[in-house]
Amino acid sequence: MSKITVAGVRSNVQQLLDYSNNEKKRNFLETVELQIGLKNYDPQRDKRFSGTVKLPRVPRPGMSICILGDQHDIDRAKHGGVDAMSSDDLKKLNKNKKLIKKLARKYDAFIASDSLIKQIPRLLGPGLSKAGKFPTPVSHSDSLSDKITEVKSTIKFQLKKVLCMGVAVGNVDMTEDELIGNIMLAINYLVSLLKKGWQNVGSLTIKASMSPPKRLY
Amino acid sequence: MVKRKLAALEKVEADLTNLQHKIRRDPPSYQIEFGNQYHQYEVYRDILLEAPSTTEESRVISLHDLIGFVSHVADCYRAITKNFAQDLIGLLSAHHAVLEYELRDKIVGSLVLLRKKGIIDSSTLLNTFFSIRASTPSKSLRALLFQRILSELRNSNSKTINHRLNRTTQNALFELVTSDRTTPKTLWAVKLTRELWKRQIWTDPKSVEIMKEAALAENKKVIIAGVRFFLGGDKEREEAAEEESDEEDGIDMAQLRHQAGINKKTNKKEKELKKAAATVRKRERKKNQPHPLNFSAFHLLHDPQGFAEVLFAKHLQAAETKLNLEQKLLILQLVSRLVGLHKLALDTLYSYFLKYLSPRQPSVTSFLASLAQATHNLVPPDMLEPLIQKIVNEFVSEAAASEVASAGLNAIREICARQPLAMNETLLQDLVMYRKSKDKGVMMAAKGLLSLYREVEPEMLHKRDRGRDAALSLRAGDKKRARFGEEKAGEIEGLELLEKWKEDERKKRREEKGLPLDNLSDEEADQDAEDEAGWANWDAEEDGSDDSGGWIGVHSGGSEIDISDDEDSPGPSKRVKIEKDTTAEKEPIVANEDVTNIPKLSKLATTRILTPVDLAKLQELRAQAEVSKLMPNKKRQKQLEDRHADDPFTAEQIEGLATLSAKRTKEEKIAMARADREERHQSTTAKRKEKKEAEGKSTTNKEKARKKNFMMTLGKAKAKSKRSLIEHRKILKAHSERKKRGGRRSNR
Repeated sequence: MSKITVAGVRSNVQQLLDYSNNEKKRNFLETVELQIGLKNYDPQRDKRFSGTVKLPRVPRPGMSICILGDQHDIDRAKHGGVDAMSSDDLKKLNKNKKLIKKLARKYDAFIASDSLIKQIPRLLGPGLSKAGKFPTPVSHSDSLSDKITEVKSTIKFQLKKVLCMGVAVGNVDMTEDELIGNIMLAINYLVSLLKKGWQNVGSLTIKASMSPPKRLY
Repeated sequence: MVKRKLAALEKVEADLTNLQHKIRRDPPSYQIEFGNQYHQYEVYRDILLEAPSTTEESRVISLHDLIGFVSHVADCYRAITKNFAQDLIGLLSAHHAVLEYELRDKIVGSLVLLRKKGIIDSSTLLNTFFSIRASTPSKSLRALLFQRILSELRNSNSKTINHRLNRTTQNALFELVTSDRTTPKTLWAVKLTRELWKRQIWTDPKSVEIMKEAALAENKKVIIAGVRFFLGGDKEREEAAEEESDEEDGIDMAQLRHQAGINKKTNKKEKELKKAAATVRKRERKKNQPHPLNFSAFHLLHDPQGFAEVLFAKHLQAAETKLNLEQKLLILQLVSRLVGLHKLALDTLYSYFLKYLSPRQPSVTSFLASLAQATHNLVPPDMLEPLIQKIVNEFVSEAAASEVASAGLNAIREICARQPLAMNETLLQDLVMYRKSKDKGVMMAAKGLLSLYREVEPEMLHKRDRGRDAALSLRAGDKKRARFGEEKAGEIEGLELLEKWKEDERKKRREEKGLPLDNLSDEEADQDAEDEAGWANWDAEEDGSDDSGGWIGVHSGGSEIDISDDEDSPGPSKRVKIEKDTTAEKEPIVANEDVTNIPKLSKLATTRILTPVDLAKLQELRAQAEVSKLMPNKKRQKQLEDRHADDPFTAEQIEGLATLSAKRTKEEKIAMARADREERHQSTTAKRKEKKEAEGKSTTNKEKARKKNFMMTLGKAKAKSKRSLIEHRKILKAHSERKKRGGRRSNR
């Protein structure tokens, strides 16, 4: 395809939302994913690229988050109804690889208070960073709920061993405009990351969890 | 008698080649002759099998020739020769140790030939060769087989990638390497893999896995071969690829065609031209092909954390390693690169360094480089603090030699560039004082540290050291202290600049047209038209711009006073104004109750797609802004942070400035001055001539006359001297008249 237009994206999003909300409504909240295929990209010469960007809306509200914190933060977390663990809880894991892996798998993201985060590598070893879930710091002055939304709405573009990737950019509960805003921002950010801009983009596809894919570009 | 025998042999040989040619032309009619020869072969073979170690000349030679003959024409008589290949394989694998060497090599060659003719498949061939390669005591045979295996793998992957063959081969090699870790015999498997990696025939994780196993072997040679692959394999591959492309370069089609038009037309010239055209076409095609997916070996590792841990524990930490310092350094380099690149957590590594950080330690700069390489932003600062303290104590003091001090400062700067939190305030302020040092190397190293902290943490510096920009941004309060574990969310840099520019452009256009400034329907149409323009022939446009490739370069690299503004909140006042402007014209902003705290993201990024033209403009604006210091200097800071994430960091870089402080001897100074000069003196005419020749230009008439063979000029000279006076006058007159006319052709 030669180019991508706002109108084209809009119609695709409309179709997608129509399919997931009216035609075949599922029993869970479907996530909308942006799938990207790259081309003319030499991973060795162009080096790696990775980047995080904050979307205007939270793409996956159901993300589970765990607070690793001191007493103050644990209290705040309990107040907000978020799971929390203290450093003693972490010490109980005893650097046991299986338990840490289990912990990493249980949550989608972690937030750690400033005082604790420096000890995380000591307490938990490589388990969390291996899973790509190294905690985000939060200080006592930050608002915890804001931090949680920030973590939830941040998406990460990272190239692994293949030239394609997928990121969650929204869900089918969002309005059309919200979804389009997220998709646009994600696309624009991605393209600005690439060395040759649109020349590096092979394909762009959006897809809800259970919907047929819609090709944008 | 001997003579006659030899003659007979020659005759047979001649006959065989003759017969081979005839058979090639018409197989069915020579079937009987072939049958006879094949029978002959079988007889000789049976005799040989009774005593395989025989060296009786005549028999060996005739068998040698017969095998060659049969394998050349075997594809014409598949029915008769259906056992031939199996015979050869059996013969070779059973008796390779005792066979006469020429015969043995011939059998190897014949098997390769049979493979080329498609009589046996490559996996059989490779299996045979592998097993023999592993068991033979003969060095020459091993070398031959290695060569053959390599070329076989190359050939079978030349057109398309033969996945099945690669898989089986890789599995065989993997088995080989893992089955016995103590022998050096597996070294060839490593060599083979490296060779194939270099030629981009194997680029998959499995081959990396083979090398990983090699690096974890017990045998010294194998370990080092594996480690060297990781440290140098990718570069080697890149160089090989570049060489390949270089070979084809340097053909100027236009010039060739031009020359072909001028010079005498010969068949040879024509052929050359055609060949050149073919290569050019091929190159073009290659250029348009999708780029092969060559990830570096580091990125293809399956479990870098596990690999680094085992490598470190097995070869470096263990008390009874037999490795010498050089080998240990190689392994340390690999481990630290893995840690730095994949941001691994390997706590014990840092305390390991402590022992080696002293100026007396041999090749200490390599240790320093490895330490810097192993640092990344997820290393807890309290692990690095003792290391930095140790470097300061050991290297950086007034008493230490200047090279030592500058190496230490460089190392500290590199560590802090990767993890700025590892430094404490008092220490930093002390170190920065060294910028007043008399020694150039130390002074520059200290300045490097200073400029680094002006960018990342100006608060830690003395007020007077902060520099104007850092101080300004601190006063503005938009500089937050970095926190451990924080990953900054990215944004499209300079987007607000683009937005502003677009707005201005639009207003200008509307004014030109004399339209009211806010008309919604017109606006939409306008934007669409703009979009169309933005995508028009974008491929071509991008092609032009990407080789210029570095708007980053606008910024002068080592400048002392660096701009360092804020990173996250992009110019608040300007931004708000734009928001106000745009809200009036475009559709109302989507309500955002649940995320009110999030700063309003640019309207442009969420409602429009950036076209290639937009992107180009964006880059231009960014470059402009960076020059005029309007923009946060984020790119440069990012460069600082992960300038070596993918590239190795070497001891030379640590030493770097230390060379400045070394006193030079007189000889060295003279040599350096000489080095600047050109190699040899050459006259201008000679240069001009060389250039002309290189360009392929022809000679002038004057030059031709000058170069003409003396004997050829002799006749005319003689005739001239014998001319009568009258003749001479006539000629002179004619000449002067001709000159007046303006030459023979009178081309005035």
